[in-house]
Amino acid sequence: MATGDAESFTDELNGLHLEAVIGFNGHVPSGLICHPDREHLIYPLGCTVIVQGINIRTQDFLHGHTNNVSCVTVSSSGSYVASGQITFMGFKADIILWDYQKREMLARLSLHKGKIENLAFSPNDLYLVSLGGQDDGSMVVWSVLKKEAICGSPASARSAGNPTTLIYSNCRDEMFISAGNGTIRVWELDLPNRKIRPTECQTGQLKRIGNCAMMTEDDSYFYIGTSTGDVLKLNTKSTLMSDYGPIKEKFSLGVTALLLLKTGDLVIGTGAGIVAHCSGSNYKTIKKVQLQGAITSITPRGQGHQFFVGTNEAQIYRFSFSDFREELIATCHSEAIHDIIFPFGTSDLFATCSKSDIRVWYTPENRELLRITIPNMTCHAIDFMRDGKSIISAWNDGKIRAFTPETGRLMYVIEHAHSMGVTALATTSDCKRIISGGGEGQVRVWEISKSTRKLEEVMKEHISSISCIKIKKNNKECVTASIDGTCIIWDLVRFMRRQMILANTLFKCVCYHPDEHQLITSGTDRKIGYWEVFDGSPIRDLEGSLSGSINGMDITADGTFFVTGGDDHLVKVWDYNEGEVTFVGVGHSGNITRLKICPNNKYIVSVSADGAILRWKYPHAN
Amino acid sequence: MAAFLVEESIYNLIPQVPCKPFKVPRYISKLKPYVKQTIQQSKFQWKTMGPAKVHVPSPKDFLQKHSKEPKLPKRKKDQVGKKTLKLSVPHRTDHPVMGVQSNKNFINTNAANVIMGVAKKPVPVCVDRYQGDKFLLETSGLVPRYLKKKDYGVTPTYVVRRNEEAKQAQEAYDAYVKKTLRKKAMKRLSDEEREDLLEGLKKNWVQVHQAFQSLSVEIDTLPKKLNKERLELQMKQLEHDISTIEKHKVIYIANK
Repeated sequence: MATGDAESFTDELNGLHLEAVIGFNGHVPSGLICHPDREHLIYPLGCTVIVQGINIRTQDFLHGHTNNVSCVTVSSSGSYVASGQITFMGFKADIILWDYQKREMLARLSLHKGKIENLAFSPNDLYLVSLGGQDDGSMVVWSVLKKEAICGSPASARSAGNPTTLIYSNCRDEMFISAGNGTIRVWELDLPNRKIRPTECQTGQLKRIGNCAMMTEDDSYFYIGTSTGDVLKLNTKSTLMSDYGPIKEKFSLGVTALLLLKTGDLVIGTGAGIVAHCSGSNYKTIKKVQLQGAITSITPRGQGHQFFVGTNEAQIYRFSFSDFREELIATCHSEAIHDIIFPFGTSDLFATCSKSDIRVWYTPENRELLRITIPNMTCHAIDFMRDGKSIISAWNDGKIRAFTPETGRLMYVIEHAHSMGVTALATTSDCKRIISGGGEGQVRVWEISKSTRKLEEVMKEHISSISCIKIKKNNKECVTASIDGTCIIWDLVRFMRRQMILANTLFKCVCYHPDEHQLITSGTDRKIGYWEVFDGSPIRDLEGSLSGSINGMDITADGTFFVTGGDDHLVKVWDYNEGEVTFVGVGHSGNITRLKICPNNKYIVSVSADGAILRWKYPHAN
Repeated sequence: MAAFLVEESIYNLIPQVPCKPFKVPRYISKLKPYVKQTIQQSKFQWKTMGPAKVHVPSPKDFLQKHSKEPKLPKRKKDQVGKKTLKLSVPHRTDHPVMGVQSNKNFINTNAANVIMGVAKKPVPVCVDRYQGDKFLLETSGLVPRYLKKKDYGVTPTYVVRRNEEAKQAQEAYDAYVKKTLRKKAMKRLSDEEREDLLEGLKKNWVQVHQAFQSLSVEIDTLPKKLNKERLELQMKQLEHDISTIEKHKVIYIANK
């Protein structure tokens, strides 16, 4: 539905220019791949695959999937990229074959249902093997040249579990290996008969779930990393296990990523975030480094003098093998981003908040400058004090926390600010008040001074969670949107309700027009409403989206344009007076949660539920 | 604690781009084209098969002694025309002329001259007192010397000339005043002109009267009424003018 929208819009409207994407889906196993040209990293983000330069910060986007990408692979020559996706139960999940040089789609291969679990290219780029997900359970070999299926087979025996990992031989185009829950199989392709024939590998008494696999250069052995935390070494010809280890101190949370070096040594990534260099003979750890999050992919650059590590906390590290020291090169949110805010008057910085952390970014370089972590809590809203001396954040444990902006130290906490979590927050421009909204529907005004935080007033009108708060420039009035279907304009001098806007929707966002006589609202009814501030009467209704609710909205400082984004994954730029869409940005792969136009009208920054931050060029900049 | 006192600001997080130190542009001489040109000129001189032919100094023109000293004009040998001053006293070598004697009998000649000469007239003198001083009578003022001057009692010529000039200036001024007065005076209407004027006025009156008499009896419309009023007004004016001119014999025309 969403892509249908996108295609119809892009046909008739100008597309927004996507300048940068900050995001990396670290949950995809072996999702981070260094291209054989040694200059680019390929990784998935939502339903796109990103090709990013390592030294030169370029980004190309492979758009085409209709849902989240579940696996990515690159052929050994580097000319093809293949990616698979997940989809809804019963629907066909596509594999897309991409031309790497032209960055365009070559073919859409669809046979599997539900999910593509893994993909592998043959060493001479002749075949592509795909492994279906749990509900599909089949293995298909595709011809890369003809772009059609050659043969297929059930992926595992009925008695065994599902395979999850797939590895092709380094020398032969006819042999590949799958591994999974209690199953390790060596497959032979019989091309004349269009058959693939598996041989089950014997591991004796050991019962293991394979997470990752790696084959030696000469195809004599292959290694399987297991969820138990050890590595199995199997002979390819005899399909027997030769040895395994470490026997005593296994890696906690399993071996999740594996890299075999030319010397025969192994680099092991574990679910606990340890990257270890192990000797090939007795699996003893020589060196190890602790990283943040579970390691999901280790990819060598060239011959392995340098390698990249991706974790499920969406961090990308670079390792130099000689000194075995990590270097953080890219970070992003791994969970849904709930809010974005620019400090007053500057476009070079912005802050985003997500589950358990707040991050401050440097816009021109897409670099993370500061991270404030509160484990296991979700930050729903943030705001900068107008003087830039504190970051105020609203958390789901009912606390309002303020942090220093440079070191990220906790300045103060307002305990029990709301009983069902703080959901919205705004600060006045004189830096003396915080207005917060909670999950229970109360709006509270807090008086902030140097040392004390005092509850000034509680305004009880809403009956459900507050989603957005906006304050007038003179700090004497504010508007709150709530998912109970009301927007209330409050008098902040007498703490009374001035006007109430009622609509049959869950209001998600509200914006004052800069002259503050009108306001625009939007919500789950996909309509953008224009309202009079003075008497709360409706002025106009626009159809904001065809498919999904509108979650974020921002208006320019002069009020001529505003942007919206929502569950249809589209960023739309509207002319305020005409009520017409002028530009549409296609590129998000998750629901857009919030978006902002930067203070000097250069960019639009939108954040989505898949943890991506997208920076668009603002089209109406003069 | 000291660190806590320093207030943090989000704006300090913006990475400072190190600005490159300003480099002074490289020095380039103003004389560069000149130097280039001279080098260019001197560079290809030997392309003419050796340096240009120049005048070789003669071996006779060697450096001579004192040739560099300044040359003074030649000293004059003899001073022509210079005469020795005549001394007021005789020179040491001069000898007086001796032995010159005259035969003239000075006693006789002097006596004869006195005897033959005319007697001297006495100078008229006056004596102021008895045993007093003697003055020349001519300058004493006792003789009426100025009365006998030739121009005694005649008006000096310069006075006569001045009087003449003053008189002429007065006449010129009077003539000018008279002229300007005449110019500014009102013009008097001559008799013939007056007669002509009267006649013309009467003629006009007759015409207007004629027109008035030939008006229709019934004055019923506004234009007719206006016409009649206009004619009456004209006649009245003309009658008034005629009576005015007839009343006065002498008429001056005021100049504006």
